[in-house]
Amino acid sequence: MGVVASVRRRALRCWAARRALPARAVATLVRALAILAPLALVVPCNGVHAAAPSGTIATPVGFAHARVPWRFEFPRDHGAHFQFQSEWWYFTGHLRAADGRRFGYELTFFRYGLRPGERKPARGQSRWRGNQMYPVHLAVTDERGQRFVFDERFAREALGMGRASEGALDVAVGDWRLVGGPVFRMRAASANFGVDLVQVAEKAPAVHGHDGVSLKGSCATCASHYYSMTRLRTSGTLVYLGQRFSVDGVSWMDHEFGSDELQRDQVGWDWFSIQLDDRREIMDYRLRVKGGALTPESSGSLVDARGGVRYLRRDDVGVEVVGAWRSPRTGGVYPSGWRVRVPSARLDLSLVPVVLDQELSNLTGGVSYWEGAVDVNDAVSGRHLGIGYVELTGYAGVVPH
Amino acid sequence: MPLFRALVLGPLRSNALRAIVTLVAVALGVAIGLAIDLANATAVGSFQTSVNVVSNKVNLQVLGVGRGFDERAIVRVQNVPGVTFASPTIEDALTVGARAGDPFSGEILRVLGVDLLRPLPGDAAPATSPGDVSPPAVDPWLLVNGRGAFVSAALAERLGWRAGETVRALAGDRDVTLRVAGIIPRGTVGIDSSVVFVDIATAQEIFGKVGLLDRIDMIVDPAQLANAERAVSEALPPGARAIRPKTRTDEISRMLQSFRLNLEALAYVALLVGMYLIYNTVAISVVQRRPEVGTVRALGATRGAVFRTFAGEGALVGVLGSLLGLGVGAVLATFSVAAVSRTVDTLYVGSHADRVAYDPVLFVKAFVLGVVASVVAAAFPALDAASTPPAITMRAQGFETRRPRFAPRAALAGLALLVLAWACTRAPALDGVPVFGYASGLLIIFGGSLCVPLAVAWLARAGTTVAARRPTLGLAAANLAGAPLRTSVAVASLMIAVGMMVSVSVLVSSFRTTVVTWADETLLADLFVRPLGLSDASSDTHFSPTVAGRIARVPGVARIDTFRSVMLPYRGRITNLFATDLSDLAVHRDLRLLDGADAGALARSVPGTTNVLVSEPFASKFGVRRGDVLRLPTPSGTTAFTVAATYNDYSSDAGVVLLDMKTYRRLFHDDSINSLSIYASPGADLVRLRSAVLRSVLPLRIDVATNRELRELVVQVFDRTFAITYALDVIAIAIAVMGVVSTLFALVLERRREFGLLRYLGVTAGGVRVTVLTEAAGIGVLGGVLGVAVGMLLALLLIFVINRQAFGWLIELHVPWVFLAETVLLVVVAAVSAGVYPAGVAARIRTAEAVRTE
Repeated sequence: MGVVASVRRRALRCWAARRALPARAVATLVRALAILAPLALVVPCNGVHAAAPSGTIATPVGFAHARVPWRFEFPRDHGAHFQFQSEWWYFTGHLRAADGRRFGYELTFFRYGLRPGERKPARGQSRWRGNQMYPVHLAVTDERGQRFVFDERFAREALGMGRASEGALDVAVGDWRLVGGPVFRMRAASANFGVDLVQVAEKAPAVHGHDGVSLKGSCATCASHYYSMTRLRTSGTLVYLGQRFSVDGVSWMDHEFGSDELQRDQVGWDWFSIQLDDRREIMDYRLRVKGGALTPESSGSLVDARGGVRYLRRDDVGVEVVGAWRSPRTGGVYPSGWRVRVPSARLDLSLVPVVLDQELSNLTGGVSYWEGAVDVNDAVSGRHLGIGYVELTGYAGVVPH
Repeated sequence: MPLFRALVLGPLRSNALRAIVTLVAVALGVAIGLAIDLANATAVGSFQTSVNVVSNKVNLQVLGVGRGFDERAIVRVQNVPGVTFASPTIEDALTVGARAGDPFSGEILRVLGVDLLRPLPGDAAPATSPGDVSPPAVDPWLLVNGRGAFVSAALAERLGWRAGETVRALAGDRDVTLRVAGIIPRGTVGIDSSVVFVDIATAQEIFGKVGLLDRIDMIVDPAQLANAERAVSEALPPGARAIRPKTRTDEISRMLQSFRLNLEALAYVALLVGMYLIYNTVAISVVQRRPEVGTVRALGATRGAVFRTFAGEGALVGVLGSLLGLGVGAVLATFSVAAVSRTVDTLYVGSHADRVAYDPVLFVKAFVLGVVASVVAAAFPALDAASTPPAITMRAQGFETRRPRFAPRAALAGLALLVLAWACTRAPALDGVPVFGYASGLLIIFGGSLCVPLAVAWLARAGTTVAARRPTLGLAAANLAGAPLRTSVAVASLMIAVGMMVSVSVLVSSFRTTVVTWADETLLADLFVRPLGLSDASSDTHFSPTVAGRIARVPGVARIDTFRSVMLPYRGRITNLFATDLSDLAVHRDLRLLDGADAGALARSVPGTTNVLVSEPFASKFGVRRGDVLRLPTPSGTTAFTVAATYNDYSSDAGVVLLDMKTYRRLFHDDSINSLSIYASPGADLVRLRSAVLRSVLPLRIDVATNRELRELVVQVFDRTFAITYALDVIAIAIAVMGVVSTLFALVLERRREFGLLRYLGVTAGGVRVTVLTEAAGIGVLGGVLGVAVGMLLALLLIFVINRQAFGWLIELHVPWVFLAETVLLVVVAAVSAGVYPAGVAARIRTAEAVRTE
């Protein structure tokens, strides 16, 4: 076992053992984890050797926070916001090959800042200096084969290996890249699977929350700026197990940025995106705290056929878990199958995972989460009403963002 | 088993002292062998450590030559299919606490610069439920942009560094500051005590390697490794190469091969001496118990049973001694590792060996060697015991008296072995290993041993004639003659130990003289500029580019020579590339050219071209000659160099390729230098010049040595290198002296009756004492003189065959006569001292009691 790996593992256990200490936001933890990974050396169990007082650092230095109103402007806001500490571009979608075969995919670019802004090394300085880190996750769901594959990349802001630009969307890690808005192009290929897709927005961006602020908790910084492209007509090529498929379908894009967003006692969240055949869409996130309760900030949006956005409070949406799935890799027990009611929209939906196992497990830093394609049916008649994606964190391993 | 108990265990109990001495001898032999084995294995294994620190899954590396390779290689490399992880790495060293004028001052810190932000892929999650967990108390920004460093707990403690503190260290000639971001907990696997981790950005900046990498450590999908290796190779800049870590370790291991083998051979001589002791012990017990053997044979015991009984004695001693030896060896390893890794660090390549790698295989090897050696040593006397006819005799001396012609026959056989030994010296090395040389050494030892009985017989005869009027001396001579075999074994073990000491001394003395002469002839400059404090072969400690220019302008400096040295792979080994200005070769004549090469012609043909000189060890190691073409990797691509001449050099047994500085800079795009030498203007005051030079480079910090100091340094480094050899020598001698004690003690005990009778006949206690001491002196003189003879043979073998073949050194024979005389004297004194206790015992034998047993 590699030194670093072993030490890191121990360090993670150390952390777990220190749960009694006041904890920072989950987002902070994950960023810290990603950083820590190669040097868990850093974290002796007693934690007192480190430079800063124990348990304090990682407070964002000089970052803007997202609890103040934000006026979205596009395409500017498709681009990166280096004044905020964390940011991600989340694409999920359902694709259909010419032979009718159905696939789901996820491609997510994350950005974490160590300090605000991009840092261009001065003359004579190492080009490895920098403020930004870029992890990427890619996953493909094969409905017919009932299989799920995933991979990840990571780069720091150095030598152009990891980069993002302000003003328009252009984020890349190595040769995995995402550009555009309102037409998006993405390309990411692992050893034997990958996507090369073009997405055309059929609706305007749907901004969540109020005044461009999506609350994530009760603390002073617990919020993000968050919008979704809820209906992206998608076409292109999908490579799966070495085979190339020409595909068409519908995607969803989330773009979110903020600093120190989650409150300390949050343990994870459930996130739903639903695209109905009647061209309405629903987004709903449910933030869980210790003990299983949902924070009052849990909320969502209902997008009507013309693109109008209606805010959904926590109690506007009723979610009932109807099944469970246990991960053989992480041992985590995830909800699997839901009944989602939105009485105000006269919706009573049943969400059924197209594949039970859509868990990205043991990613860098020990992160595991479930991100999977679901079919959306009428809960009563069973009639097919649409498609969706569900994200479940905090059920196994280390929680992502 | 009853036989064993009766013939071995019983007497063993009554001869506890001898048993213990033998046991200790075996234990020491095994311990030394093990300690050296462990040290060697640790040194070689440690090269894997710095890779493992990144991840033990690293299965492909990119390595550069010279100053490193363009960092942009990593961008291409990590997109190669199958590459799941690629870590940029810089490995270098910092110095702390170095003082001017003391080349051994300070401490070297190994610095590993990696991408501290980059996590390893697919690391398993902790088996805990998620929840609110504290973040680490380290600001990652500090690591990337604030010179943050992680240091080992041991280092922090030694240097008094605390987390959060800003600390200073020396990188080449520059002071750099680091911020201690965290302390690596003690006992973190694979982290040695002097390691410092920094981010790649920090490493590039403090070592002046912005834009460069020393290494890329990669994790590649094993199924795609071969393809990925090819694709990575194609993506690399010239000079950089993709290599599997194992291959790299092999290269280094081959570089150290001769050094390790020689040390190991030396170490196991101690075991060889121990074998003689076992032989001795068992032989004595056979002789003492021959009557019992005869009796049990008469009672129906088979030859096999008798053989097994005495061989069992050897095995018992072997097993117990070896077990003891394993324990002692494990403890000794701490010291041997320090000594070996210091030599390796200084002369070859920086190791991370500061913690013994206790490889169980080596323990098994040492144990098996110890037991097998013991059984083999016991087999000869056991065979003899087995050949005892039933009920032959109640006389104790049967074995010794039965073979009157044994001594001349043995000597004849010994002579034959010596001839064979000579024949072995004519054979070439096998793959750089002087196998036949080592065989020849063994043959000399065995051949010499076989000559010992004759020498003992002669000495006894001479003693009898010469000392006819001194009864005690005559008695001693008669005793020696009466038990030639046992005496011979004692003499032989002493001879081997002395021989080993003599051979090594002659080798070292010759080598030292040769090196000193070489240093005198080639170190001609007045002042030498080197980095402050300790330096080792791993760190590319170099000066800032401005240093040479500033020093050249100091008034009183007539001329400077600059030097650059890098390591290069060549034909599966690591070798050295030295660069300096060769245009003044003819003027300075500071190279000893071989084969009649003409300095003037070289001074015209080498500068600026790809003509190179190679050192004698290089030429002999790789079998190249003038006119041959060497294809070496450079950052400008693989380049063909033509060997223009060979020269005499003792700086590296890994070999040196010497090329002109202009050529080096052109091919390696590297203008850094590691050291420089200063020729003063005529009449310049060197003391003042030295301070002027030091001032001229401020605030950079360098060390300036005078010509004499540098020559002293050469000798100091030389002596440190051989320190462990001396230690091994002393131990072998100690074992041999134990053998003398054991032998004399046995002789005394066995002849209780005789001594009692002598006392009865009127010989005083003092007379008995003198008899025993004289015997001891006889053994000492014989062992010493024969040891010197055998030692000289071994020395010739070491100098002209083994070292020549293994290292390629050309060494001139230089015999330290005075030292040899002292050695013989010392051995006699040691032998006589060894006789004191047995003599005392003999003198106390009570007359009446002794006679009663008769």
